[in-house]
Amino acid sequence: MAGILPAAEKVLKKRIGWYAAAIALMSLLLVAQAVPSVVNGENIQGSVPWLPSLGIELSFYGDGLSIMFGLIVSGVGILIMAYSNEYMSKREDLSRYYRQLLMFMGSMLGMVFSSNIIQLFIFWELTSITSFMLIGYWRNRPMSVYGATKSLLITASGGIFMLAGFLVLNIITGTFDIATVLQNESMIETIKGHEFFLFALVLILIGAAAKSAQGPFYIWLPNAMEAPTPVSAFLHSATMVKAGIYLVARIHPLFSGTDAWFILVSGLGIITMLAAGFLAFRQTDIKGILAYSTISQLAYMMAMYGYTTYQYPGIGVAAATFHLLNHATFKACLFLVAGIVAHETATRDITKMGGLRKDMPVTFIIGSIAALAMAGVPPLNGFLSKEMFYESSLEMGHLLGGPLEYLIPAAAVLGGVFTFAYSIRFIDGIFLGKRRSEHLPKHMHEPSLIMLVPPAFLAILVILIGLFPSVAVQYIIEPAASGILLQEVHLHVSLWHGFTAALMMTIITFIAGIALYTKYDAIAAWQDRMNARYPWFSINYAYDRIVNGAQGKSSAFAAVMQPGPVKPYLVALLLLFLVLGAIPAMLVATTLVPADLNFNVPPYEGILLGLIVLAALGTAILRKYLHAILAVSAVGYLISLVFIYLQAPDLAMTQILVETLFTIIFLLVILKIPQTFRENLTRSVLARDLLISSAVGITVLVLLLNATQGIASPFESISYYFIENSVPLARGHNMVNVILVDFRGYDTLGEIVVICLAGLGVYNLIKSRSDSK
Amino acid sequence: MTTLITKTVSKACVPIIILFSVSLLFAGHDLPGGGFIGGVMFASAISLLYVAFGLKYIDSIYSYQWDKWFGTGLLLASLTGFGAMLFGYNFLRSLYMLVNLPLAGDVKLLSTTLFDIGVYLVVIGSLLYVFKGTGEDE
Repeated sequence: MAGILPAAEKVLKKRIGWYAAAIALMSLLLVAQAVPSVVNGENIQGSVPWLPSLGIELSFYGDGLSIMFGLIVSGVGILIMAYSNEYMSKREDLSRYYRQLLMFMGSMLGMVFSSNIIQLFIFWELTSITSFMLIGYWRNRPMSVYGATKSLLITASGGIFMLAGFLVLNIITGTFDIATVLQNESMIETIKGHEFFLFALVLILIGAAAKSAQGPFYIWLPNAMEAPTPVSAFLHSATMVKAGIYLVARIHPLFSGTDAWFILVSGLGIITMLAAGFLAFRQTDIKGILAYSTISQLAYMMAMYGYTTYQYPGIGVAAATFHLLNHATFKACLFLVAGIVAHETATRDITKMGGLRKDMPVTFIIGSIAALAMAGVPPLNGFLSKEMFYESSLEMGHLLGGPLEYLIPAAAVLGGVFTFAYSIRFIDGIFLGKRRSEHLPKHMHEPSLIMLVPPAFLAILVILIGLFPSVAVQYIIEPAASGILLQEVHLHVSLWHGFTAALMMTIITFIAGIALYTKYDAIAAWQDRMNARYPWFSINYAYDRIVNGAQGKSSAFAAVMQPGPVKPYLVALLLLFLVLGAIPAMLVATTLVPADLNFNVPPYEGILLGLIVLAALGTAILRKYLHAILAVSAVGYLISLVFIYLQAPDLAMTQILVETLFTIIFLLVILKIPQTFRENLTRSVLARDLLISSAVGITVLVLLLNATQGIASPFESISYYFIENSVPLARGHNMVNVILVDFRGYDTLGEIVVICLAGLGVYNLIKSRSDSK
Repeated sequence: MTTLITKTVSKACVPIIILFSVSLLFAGHDLPGGGFIGGVMFASAISLLYVAFGLKYIDSIYSYQWDKWFGTGLLLASLTGFGAMLFGYNFLRSLYMLVNLPLAGDVKLLSTTLFDIGVYLVVIGSLLYVFKGTGEDE
């Protein structure tokens, strides 16, 4: 399984879209290859140690759920990549586009096959980052940048909550490995009974909800529609937004069957479903309709995954899983159709469209099939999973009893009504009726085959799954549901069940949906009035307030913390040194000055010392930049002499080289700054500076005097470890270097990252200053 | 700004210094040296050129994009870490091999040397990047 990732990543450099599609096909085949064994109930596992000291491994785990996601991700991926060949203009930066798409696909696959939760988190955030890059693909459009920033802020910060939740989970179980937990029943029992149960659940759910645009976090998804349409189809309908659903399904066995799970997950799902369904109805941007409908469809799944009781922990699981697959097919198809329509009409405003069926009959048919599937019309696949949704809602309501017995199914039907209404509006608004506007180009026509085939393929899938659900159910849904419920699941899905209650509910849905659609104008007007009257009554408003406020606040904070001149920083650093160094040293000190001091200094040491002192004084006293800089370098060179004298050639060499470079850079810098030097010091400032510097000086002196006597090193020195082990373990004789690259390689890696960042920072600071002149 | 002597000498010296910096880099595991010092040494060589000839001259022999250098270095250093994982070891685990090369005799091949080369490139890249920033538009 681990082979998938490098395979997808190796080829990021290549340019052509077909090539990208081939990669996706390859991953699809790799995933599909695992299907038979998973159907037989075997899961795939493999791992590589990564940070063994923390128990973190790079480990992969494939069960039915992972495989289903793998199939969706790579399958839809192929179609998207192929479609993009025609959709993206040849003048675009295609290399970047496909690179990011493939990177996204790789991280998504990595996420669903992750067994280690820390690794899962890393891939999770990678999907956020790649999605950020893709949403902001058109870098110079402010709305793209706004949408990208918003999605990153919301999904990535949600991810951090999730990480905290994972850590809590780790405290409870003592492992980072999901597969281990899933295969260990007593561990699951421990989680459900643990006092941190709710804490972990809420934290993880925040991450899942942020990713899947549930609850208050939904606001990023509509703005994410600034991305190129294939990206929206891929990320914001079929895959990335489902990461949250995936997570809910993944942790389902660990948390489900409890009140908290039902209330939080189903509650969130139902509320989001209703709100987003209502909002979707009103949108005028065709991608906006699809965005809100995605939110509400994802909320269906949330609601269904939440349907659990103590006795029946998996009431909605199969239905949700089925709906997940169906949604991926019809929604990706709808997005692609929307892309075609926008491409041909050069607008995304539904109020300007209408009557397009004559110009684009094939697109019309494909789009209608997908939209009707979303609406839940038989014999399409959306109908089947919607029936299952109603059934599970009824069952859940029945098991709970009380007023909930009617409320839950009623909410489900209401959600269905909204879905039906906006689906119909999508078809009617775009394709039916008459042309509403003269703004559309006169000669619209069907797009080329490259753009038609991917959505057509999806539409055919929609019909096939609807007519012959058994194949999909047997090979995909049953293993996936078994993976979630940790037991064999067998489903019987067919188009005709007889006149069941669920069928009644569907009929009610259709009638009410049509009724709602006829009232469209009144509802739209009401929503407009509400928006005009209460502009603050929206989460977007709050988000903008917070983000814009944060900029002001942080600059105010920065103005206090970073006033500009070097001196305050220096003072702060030195004072900190006093507090952290001098005080603890005094606390453990027995004698401040050792008794057996040796003042018998040989003459050359004395001369060297004298020169250093002289040069140091020079830096402090000299009044011109040039002189002061030369004095500083003199100090540096003299110290390197000390190193040579003490037989540390490494240090001496480093010191000389660094000193040389910095002298040159200093000299370059002084050419650019005003030559006035030394602000006029008042006596009190001078006294303060003197006090601080002499305190620091004395502290260092005392510490050095005691360096070999105990107070400065109350702990045993670690240098012996390196002396003993550098040759046997790392086979290097230069201990400094061995420490840098072998023993503390990770530190060094961090350090060179810092060096790079510092280099970039300095360069840009200087650049921006000389540009602004 | 500088005399002919400086120019001539630095022209002769720079290749030697660069060679020396490379040798420092590879000697680093057993003798004084290593990626950091080697990198600084390289940067010093370039800065010697700068002092003698100015930035335009350096530009004329190598149109530098030092940011690419440190990007490559960073990539190399991190890949050595992941490279070990490909073979089933933990992150940054080093590999050791003794190889007999025709001219050089027995040579130690260490995967950490790759890491050190990464450090070397990063140091050169970022130092000279800063250098370029400060020395430009003169």
